[in-house]
Amino acid sequence: MDWKTETRGDRLVGQPKGRVDESNWLAFSQALVASIATAQAEALTFVVDLSGVDYMSSRGLRALSTALAAAKESGVDMSLAAPGSAMRQILAISRYDKLFTVHDTLPG
Amino acid sequence: MLVRFWGTRGSLPVATRADQVRAKLVAVLTAASGLSFADAGAADAFLDGLDDFALTGGYGGATSCVEIEAGDGAFTVCDMGSGLREFGLSALGRVAAGHPKRFHMFLSHLHWDHIMGFPFFAPAFDPAATIVIHAGHADAERALRRQQEEISFPVAFDWLRAKIEFVHMTPGEPRQVGGLTVSLIEQFHSHSSYGWRFEQDGKAVVYSTDSEHKSEAMAAEDRFSDFFGNADLVICDTMYSLGDTVSLKQDWGHSSSLVAVDLCRMAAAKRLMLFHHEPTYSDAQIQGMHRDAIAYEDLTRGDGQAVEVLCAYDGLELTV
Repeated sequence: MDWKTETRGDRLVGQPKGRVDESNWLAFSQALVASIATAQAEALTFVVDLSGVDYMSSRGLRALSTALAAAKESGVDMSLAAPGSAMRQILAISRYDKLFTVHDTLPG
Repeated sequence: MLVRFWGTRGSLPVATRADQVRAKLVAVLTAASGLSFADAGAADAFLDGLDDFALTGGYGGATSCVEIEAGDGAFTVCDMGSGLREFGLSALGRVAAGHPKRFHMFLSHLHWDHIMGFPFFAPAFDPAATIVIHAGHADAERALRRQQEEISFPVAFDWLRAKIEFVHMTPGEPRQVGGLTVSLIEQFHSHSSYGWRFEQDGKAVVYSTDSEHKSEAMAAEDRFSDFFGNADLVICDTMYSLGDTVSLKQDWGHSSSLVAVDLCRMAAAKRLMLFHHEPTYSDAQIQGMHRDAIAYEDLTRGDGQAVEVLCAYDGLELTV
């Protein structure tokens, strides 16, 4: 998994790329935590752009929900965006589409 | 090894209501409209062709009880939920045909739904029967005696006629029991629970129910994939959706099919059995959960090994 962030207006966009699974969930989790800290410090919202994610296993998903709890505690609005077909199915199967605001496309 | 599922529901026994049976009948009759069947076999084949177990069958509603037929001929049973009553009746029939009257029970934990079948276990009234109850909990005997105290039940524990023994087992110290190598692992659940692994002649069955795999403990999950390692069958608590386990039902002590699939894949286990079904789920919801788990396994397999995902129901028999 590769990870990069960029600021677009009042949003910090996190862009994971590839698979998020048992081999790299910790790096993914650390990237989420760091991004939330940045978003809080710079008064930004935080969007995770899922368009480059092939699939995400339960550890990646749990890293997301742990980050969501941290974001709420920090007063950061966190959401997901642009899941591809596989990620859309995984979000539905896991019921994470009930936990997160999921944008069909990356907000402009 | 032959694994029989006598009780597969979590938390509370449930039964199908008349209106639910009626709805199934109406749906099947509608699907069969205009057809005729020469005999029962043709009708049976038609039902198979519908490929809809929730409609043409059902998952049952007895709580946890799983028999493993293996070892030296003694009965081996995981948990004593309400499914134990029916197992007991089956065992009486087999005993009448010459099966030894020796029972090895293995308790995941002492919560109500996992011990409530014992007061109704007919072989416990046979003075020639021996029942050995293995537990990771030192207070197993107390829990079983307490549920038969006068305030809760009319027949006292001491009125049971079988020879009943309690054996306290410790994780990391496998034992030979009834011809099987048996080991256990402590799991996250209120008052703790234990998963069990049974091995014989290169085959392994794991029984891991009432086990929550918490987000903050993901880094330590390798101990579970190690425990499940190369198992032929892993029976897992998959009571809730992953979303529920990290939100509303966090710390309720249960897990999801997604975590079970991932642990089995890491373990290179061959088959996963979804188990301990949510009592509020209809047959259609359980079937949906099963289909979702199969889809998740396929979506996330990558270049890993495939895990066959099965779904337990009362009455299922599976050869390992």
